[in-house]
Amino acid sequence: MTDSTSKTVVLWLFVAAALVTLSAPTIVVLGASFTAGNIITFPPDGLSLKWYGAIAQASDLRQAFLRSLIVAAICTAVAIPVGTLAGIALAKYRVRFARSIQIYLLLPFTIPLIGSGIGMMLVFGEMGVLGRLWPVGIACCVINLPFMIWAVTASASNLSPDLELAAANCGAPPLQRFLYITLPAVLPGVITGSLLMFILALNEFLVSLLLVDARSVTLPVQIYNSIRSIITPDLAAISVVFIACAGLAIALLDRLVGLDIFLKSK
Amino acid sequence: MVFGNVHAVRAASFDLPRGRFLTILGPSGSGKTTLLRMIAGFDRPTGGEIFINGEPVNAVPPHRRAIGMVFQKLALFPHMTAAENVAFPLKMRRHDARLIPQKVERYLDLVRLGGYGGRRINELSGGQQQRVAIARALVFEPDLLLLDEPLAALDRKLREEMQLEFRRIQKELGVTTINVTHDQREALVVSDEIIVMDGGTIQQKARPVDAYRAPSNAFVANFIGVTNFIAGRVTEVAAPRVAFEANGVPLAGLSADAALVAGMPCAGALRAEQVRIAAGNGRLDGLETVVDGHVVDCIFEGERVVYEIRVPALADTLMRVFDHDPESHLQFGPGDAVRLGWNARDMHVFQK
Repeated sequence: MTDSTSKTVVLWLFVAAALVTLSAPTIVVLGASFTAGNIITFPPDGLSLKWYGAIAQASDLRQAFLRSLIVAAICTAVAIPVGTLAGIALAKYRVRFARSIQIYLLLPFTIPLIGSGIGMMLVFGEMGVLGRLWPVGIACCVINLPFMIWAVTASASNLSPDLELAAANCGAPPLQRFLYITLPAVLPGVITGSLLMFILALNEFLVSLLLVDARSVTLPVQIYNSIRSIITPDLAAISVVFIACAGLAIALLDRLVGLDIFLKSK
Repeated sequence: MVFGNVHAVRAASFDLPRGRFLTILGPSGSGKTTLLRMIAGFDRPTGGEIFINGEPVNAVPPHRRAIGMVFQKLALFPHMTAAENVAFPLKMRRHDARLIPQKVERYLDLVRLGGYGGRRINELSGGQQQRVAIARALVFEPDLLLLDEPLAALDRKLREEMQLEFRRIQKELGVTTINVTHDQREALVVSDEIIVMDGGTIQQKARPVDAYRAPSNAFVANFIGVTNFIAGRVTEVAAPRVAFEANGVPLAGLSADAALVAGMPCAGALRAEQVRIAAGNGRLDGLETVVDGHVVDCIFEGERVVYEIRVPALADTLMRVFDHDPESHLQFGPGDAVRLGWNARDMHVFQK
């Protein structure tokens, strides 16, 4: 065996191992969801769509899914203006304490989720709003905001500072400069960031767990609650629906702006 | 204009008649770009006033000034097509929307980009992007066109092509233009008039040929062209002729500086192309000054050879000499003894 073929073999082994490890959970859940039996197993015990039928009937799962969508929508709606403005400001303008602000905005990553979750539980509890959906949306936004800001700064820092001057020179007053030049130029970053925020909020479990009550459970919490009683294949089916939603968002992202901008974000 | 405690532009008063092409030439940090940004309205002068068409404009924000600008890095809008870029100033300046498409078309034709309007900016070559930037700066018929070294990033061939293009368009439209560059060749080629700047101060304002032939001080003489300086002391002034001695060798030149008097330290400036070169025992007829030296280095530049000659009689001054003669190219090598000669009328004497 020559050096280059052994290198190829080793490389492919690594790639195969990585692919298997990354996709195994999804494949297992996907397989288990199509089972015809009554317990969750992999490989599935016969093939059927009956558990998909079951989740379509289960109003608690459906409502939990709807609540998750609402939470994700609230999170994204808040993140778009806040993250866009913060991202542009950090990338383009000489903000005082820019460095400190950047570190401050990264804090949500460094604090364990359980810690920030408890903190927010206390705050929202004090306000008497626990059990409603909007605090969950806000909380998801707070903990994931760095993703949004990263996506926007990645677009904005590629922007030449001359662009706004050029727009001014073309006769555009300040607001028009922002609307016609700066905003469109960072739009790919905004789209990337908001889809990311949407997926992350849709999937958020730990913080939701601390902030919801029986009337306002989101889908991940609902699934978790169900696991604690009986594990039935409908959970695998709803997980697949869940994964499909996230997949859809990624596909949308790729279609709209291309994944490379996200992969390049700093 | 003061940034912190740095005076970027100190004394820079000049006026520019309508329709002229002016180049502000200077090394980086000379204040030329700051001057341009003040004219465009991006920076506000800390002192003094700028007038356009006789109106003071210091308080006028950039988007209300009728000035077109081509930026150093072009600053084309990447999310727009070439035509949308050119249409942008017309939209922002509220031109009649029905007339915009044909105006855009006309200016794209002017910069020889007819048919390229639908292209995105990143689908255009460097030279084509330049042309879009020019069209965008001119389409609304500004009172003044500013060029902030837009050619600096181009390769030499394209740069020289675009220089002539700028000149052609400027003459065709008759738009008053201020160009900023550190490229002396560009300044000489494109301009009706040159301002040489250094240290935030105007050193000379003159036609290109005068700035080259009669530099007003040592900085200008050094910055434009390849110039030899010979340090000495003034012995006699008979304006415009000045006699001086360098290391005991009597030399002479011309000076417009009335402050020059006998006994002053001075420097004689001599263009490399004004010096004739011959072999060590050769004859240089009709030249007033002849000195001997030896070749230190010879640099082949294609159309000419540059010799570096050390002259012991002038305190080992290193002189650069051009040889354009294709017959005699590379006739001397390092170490060869040579003889240099020049005329006093080609030497400019400055205070030191």
